Amino acid sequence: MESYSYVNIFETKGLEYILLICFLLLLIFFVRYIFSSKKKPDESLK
Amino acid sequence: MNKKTIFLNELKRFFKFILQEMKPKGKLLTPFNIISIPIMILGFILIILRFVKGLGYATNLSQEFPWGFWIGFDVVTGVAFAGGAYVITFVVYVMKVEKYHPIVKVTVLNGLLAYMFYAGALVLDLGKPWNIFNPIIGNSFGYNSVLFLVAWHFLLYMATEFLEFSPTIAQWLGWKKLQKILKSLTVGAVIFGITLSMLHQSGLGSLFLMAKSKIHPLWYSEFIPVLFFVSSIFAGLSMVIFEGTISHKVFKDKIDAKHHKAFDEMMIGLARGAAITMFVYYFFKALLFIHEGQWSYLMDSWGILYLIEVIGLVLIPCFMFAYGAKNRSLGIIRTAAILTMIGIILNRLNISIITFNWNIPAVYYPSWMEIVITMMIIFTEIWVFRWIVRRMPVFED
Repeated sequence: MESYSYVNIFETKGLEYILLICFLLLLIFFVRYIFSSKKKPDESLK
Repeated sequence: MNKKTIFLNELKRFFKFILQEMKPKGKLLTPFNIISIPIMILGFILIILRFVKGLGYATNLSQEFPWGFWIGFDVVTGVAFAGGAYVITFVVYVMKVEKYHPIVKVTVLNGLLAYMFYAGALVLDLGKPWNIFNPIIGNSFGYNSVLFLVAWHFLLYMATEFLEFSPTIAQWLGWKKLQKILKSLTVGAVIFGITLSMLHQSGLGSLFLMAKSKIHPLWYSEFIPVLFFVSSIFAGLSMVIFEGTISHKVFKDKIDAKHHKAFDEMMIGLARGAAITMFVYYFFKALLFIHEGQWSYLMDSWGILYLIEVIGLVLIPCFMFAYGAKNRSLGIIRTAAILTMIGIILNRLNISIITFNWNIPAVYYPSWMEIVITMMIIFTEIWVFRWIVRRMPVFED
């Protein structure tokens, strides 16, 4: 009877895929963070 | 009046105008002048000695280290910093983001001078400098060499940047018709310039592809050309922020009130661009690091140097740019720009000098003459930049 063999994430290059997915998700949050800047001082007075 | 008389009168007016413009403007005894003039004189003498007595006299170059400080700093690093010109022209003329229009001319001027001086410094590093014409005149084209691409691109890009800046020169000389014609060529020149830039920024990285066994594995990658191109974007943007901040103070009398007000917004916008490209670059580096399984290399001093470069001078300034842009803090943005520039210098020097031949006992240090000549080149570029900005309508619309 064959035993279970777990996928080795280092051999399958799975780590690179995980990193890439994390990067794409983080990029969305990062861009949203950058563009959610405070208003200009003169605009906030209006 | 016949055509000949008009032409002669115009020629007379032109020479009179040029002679008038040659007169110094501004104070002569400034701290910058006092420091730069002796270095420039000494550097000029050393350049003559370098050409008379050869490379061995002025440099510490050897068979093991044929490329030294002049290539690593002046050419490879200087050209990365000149990347601001193609980024800003792309944003303004192709993406039509008019917000950055006030800094286009000064950025193009900076790019043009950087190529003229830093890429021009390539001549200093050639054992037979007269051979620099070979890729152009066809004596020995060397189609298979990356240097062939780089040589042609530098030449064409300098001509393109000159064309992009030429309407300002025509305006300065009062040649309105010519200015109109040259202005109509700008968009074409910009598109051609961006294409050239993308290729030769990566081409400079490609020069190191053949040195796989010599460069430390933490810095060597088949993707060096991509990394060079991506890093040139935020290197250029950081340079624009740094140079813009200095110009804004030094030439404040040349900048009109409307541009003064828009300046902060432009800097914040540039910081956003730099933050996003640095974020992308950092993940490229992380992906390559994991893909190559380079964990074991982190355990020695090379590993520490790598972490300082990638985390201390890429990731941290990236977050500083993001924080500065979000909170509208120009102080943080300027600090991030300086850190990024140090990071770019370290990265380019790591690849071309510091980790080059890391596995042999011989070590290369630049000689004092190499450093003085480099300083002379930088100071001369600043002098020419200042001369042009004080005379030509660089900060005008």
